[in-house]
Amino acid sequence: MPRLNSATDLEKLRQEILAHRDPNKPCVTICSGTGCHAYGSEKVADTFLNEIQSKNLQKKVDIRRTGCHGYCERGTIVVIFPEEICYLRVKPEDVPEIIATTLVEGKIIERLLYEDDDGQKIIHEGDIPFYKHQRRIVFGPNRFIDPKSINDYIARGGYAALAKVLSEMTPEQVLEEVKKANLRGRGGGGFPAGIKWETTRNAPGEIKYVIVNADEGDPGAYMDRSLLEGNPHSVLEGLIIGAYTIGAHQGFIYVRQEYPLAVENLYIILEQAREHGLLGANILGSGFDFDVMVHRGAGAFVSGESSALMTAIEGRVGEPRPKYIRTAVSGIWGKPSNLNNVETWATIPLIINNGVTWFTSIGTEKSKGTKIFSLVGKVNNTGLVEVPMGMTLREVIYDIGGGIPHGKKFKGVQTGGPSGGVIPESLIDTRVDFDELTKAGSMMGSGGMIVMDEDTCMVDVARYFLSFLSEESCGQCVPCREGIYQMLKILNRICAGQGKPGDIELLEEIAEVVRDASLCALGATAPNPVLSTIKYFRDEYEAHVEKKRCPAGVCKALISYYIEPKKCQACLICLRNCPAEAISGGKNLIHIINQDKCTKCGVCLEVCPPQFDAVVKLSGVPVPKPVAIGTEVKRKRGEKSE
Amino acid sequence: MAKRKTKSSFVGIKVTTEQAKTLTRLQGVLNSPTKTEVLLKGLDLLSKSYSATLVPREGRPDTKAEPRVVTSLELSQLESEAHQYISILQQTKNRSEEVMKQVIQELAKIDQTIDKYGGDKDCLIQILLDIQRENRWLPKDALMWVSQKLDIPLTQIYHIATFYKAFSLVPQGRHSVSVCMGTACHVRGAPRLLEKVTDTLKIKPGETSDDMRFSLKTVNCLGCCALGPVMVVDEDYHSNPSTGEMEKIFATCD
Repeated sequence: MPRLNSATDLEKLRQEILAHRDPNKPCVTICSGTGCHAYGSEKVADTFLNEIQSKNLQKKVDIRRTGCHGYCERGTIVVIFPEEICYLRVKPEDVPEIIATTLVEGKIIERLLYEDDDGQKIIHEGDIPFYKHQRRIVFGPNRFIDPKSINDYIARGGYAALAKVLSEMTPEQVLEEVKKANLRGRGGGGFPAGIKWETTRNAPGEIKYVIVNADEGDPGAYMDRSLLEGNPHSVLEGLIIGAYTIGAHQGFIYVRQEYPLAVENLYIILEQAREHGLLGANILGSGFDFDVMVHRGAGAFVSGESSALMTAIEGRVGEPRPKYIRTAVSGIWGKPSNLNNVETWATIPLIINNGVTWFTSIGTEKSKGTKIFSLVGKVNNTGLVEVPMGMTLREVIYDIGGGIPHGKKFKGVQTGGPSGGVIPESLIDTRVDFDELTKAGSMMGSGGMIVMDEDTCMVDVARYFLSFLSEESCGQCVPCREGIYQMLKILNRICAGQGKPGDIELLEEIAEVVRDASLCALGATAPNPVLSTIKYFRDEYEAHVEKKRCPAGVCKALISYYIEPKKCQACLICLRNCPAEAISGGKNLIHIINQDKCTKCGVCLEVCPPQFDAVVKLSGVPVPKPVAIGTEVKRKRGEKSE
Repeated sequence: MAKRKTKSSFVGIKVTTEQAKTLTRLQGVLNSPTKTEVLLKGLDLLSKSYSATLVPREGRPDTKAEPRVVTSLELSQLESEAHQYISILQQTKNRSEEVMKQVIQELAKIDQTIDKYGGDKDCLIQILLDIQRENRWLPKDALMWVSQKLDIPLTQIYHIATFYKAFSLVPQGRHSVSVCMGTACHVRGAPRLLEKVTDTLKIKPGETSDDMRFSLKTVNCLGCCALGPVMVVDEDYHSNPSTGEMEKIFATCD
């Protein structure tokens, strides 16, 4: 590949690539994101390749493995262009039929299409409700691009923003654009990227660094991963533009080693970019030099904090430091270092290409653009969604997410991961916006959105986050190390049915100290899950403490399983499945749970046939006295035992 | 037991002038072609004569005692014993050479890794990650070697190796079993899945089974929340398997 030495070279290459591509040639794209990969998309793609080869169709059909499409619930997703026929839940055994029917005969296979609530089949991906309500400007290109192909990216106008910046704009002009766009950091805090850039740019010192933070540690969030896996060139392009603006010649991408595909793709694309003259010395003939190093994170949540991340890049233990002096002024090896999240970097080329006016037309007054969320938990359409700022949580959860499964009641949504809080049903019309979410007692965070239904115990959720944080606290400062641990101890006690009066107040008191006195954001935001759940679900805490009752039926120590004698049909299913052998009974004999033996695993409730519905979960009430062992089931005449 | 005794007396002997004379005489009797053989046989005979002629209390040889005459039967016995010693020696030598070879190979691999990063101290974490991936754990000699090569105190290396979750200081089983404990999996019942796994494998998170077959760990979000609660065995994802399914999955792992 000859080096590209100017913007014209880049455009020429793009035209060349396009000239070699027939837009009408069928192209089968197979989502190979993490979710679909877990469903077995690799096998689907391999089957496609083999079948196409055996049928000698290589010249007539293209196969492309793309990044994540976002609709993880229905993986593996296969979209056939140019018609954009979208098949969901595709298995390897469906492949021959797709080739024979759709690719050869041009007919649609109805059973693989999306079916809406009214039984209507939807052919095109964009018409599916999950996608229809989204605004996928950053995440959208994923589905067209093979992440390992720089040509795919260039064909779609990739690196045009970089070419424009390097050939037509001064660093000051770029900075002005980013500031005007009011792009706020997508990593959690929402700090304006332009101001951060400016600080680093103006900080004294010749050597400066730019860093991509892809240490996505928030459990339940994977949008950065999907971007890096699906469209890594867009992140790199943003990073190079940032480096040019700030005056950095060295960049780092800090990526979790738990994301092997992202790491692999990064090494590939960096090499491609170097070969094309988009990285290294004299980028696009502009005289600007810049290169990037990949640093794999070794797994520590706290290392996602900016100062900790920079220490980790230096090869030391990634612990945060007090930030009297910001990392933008003194970061890696004491040099000014600008750190932004994956999504922030990927948004930069869009602002340059489409202009500030276009960007600021999306979103709310103070939060511009879009945000990618990982919509997960008790929601019908699990997946990654990109929505304009200002959309309400209700729209995200119901219109895009398709509501709560099994007709259960919505209880709350957790945003911001372990640093955020739970937003209750009463605030479901809150708009997705940095400031609005903070006002509701949570935060935007990196974009985790965990939906919870009536079967989720809020005390247990708070306990879950604290146990996560107590493990992840680096232990440098006492408020975080001890405070989180003590709060966790109290919550463990409450969940075990040993809560004491005054526990809730004590939790609130410790939470305040931890929030105010911790060294870094991990500690300072750690009490959020506790405080927000106490604020909105105090009655649940009180039920645990005072009545020893878990309203959601989650906390094991506070629940018992019971077989209603009148409903039991002596089908023997629960008896056979009980791993603790705690159920006695027999053919035609009512089954009884021996409460002393029961481990509360809940298998009996799961396996009891729904038409009998005899097993119930009790909490806060005494278990009724069992019937005598050996009592026979009373059946109506003509009814047979199962 | 007896063999070991003979061996130690055979190795740890000090030759006095008296015994040296005995040795010379025996050389003629044995009429052996190679010097090594003579020496080995001689040493063995020496040990016997040594124990026969020593005055234990004083630790000095009894000058009055006459060296025994060796019968041909005894000689052939001694000869076969000597052969045994030779083969044991050879085996031990081979084994230690093998171990040394392995150690050298491993250290050479580490050298390669260090060279890959240009011997840069700042790349310590990256180097450790590569060693971890190669061995599935961080052996102590590897860490000591890295410490020497990069001139980083071993304590600092242990600081890093214990801080990050990716590193293990104990050997890991042949198959890794991870249960996702991310938030989405948690609300969908990950604790119960974990309980099922620990019951089936009879090991707790962070532990390895005695037969080195499985290592169990918990992870925070694997990025496939739609499948939650999810368990990963080596590379394969399993969405909320039942106890029966789980047993089948584990049975396929050797």
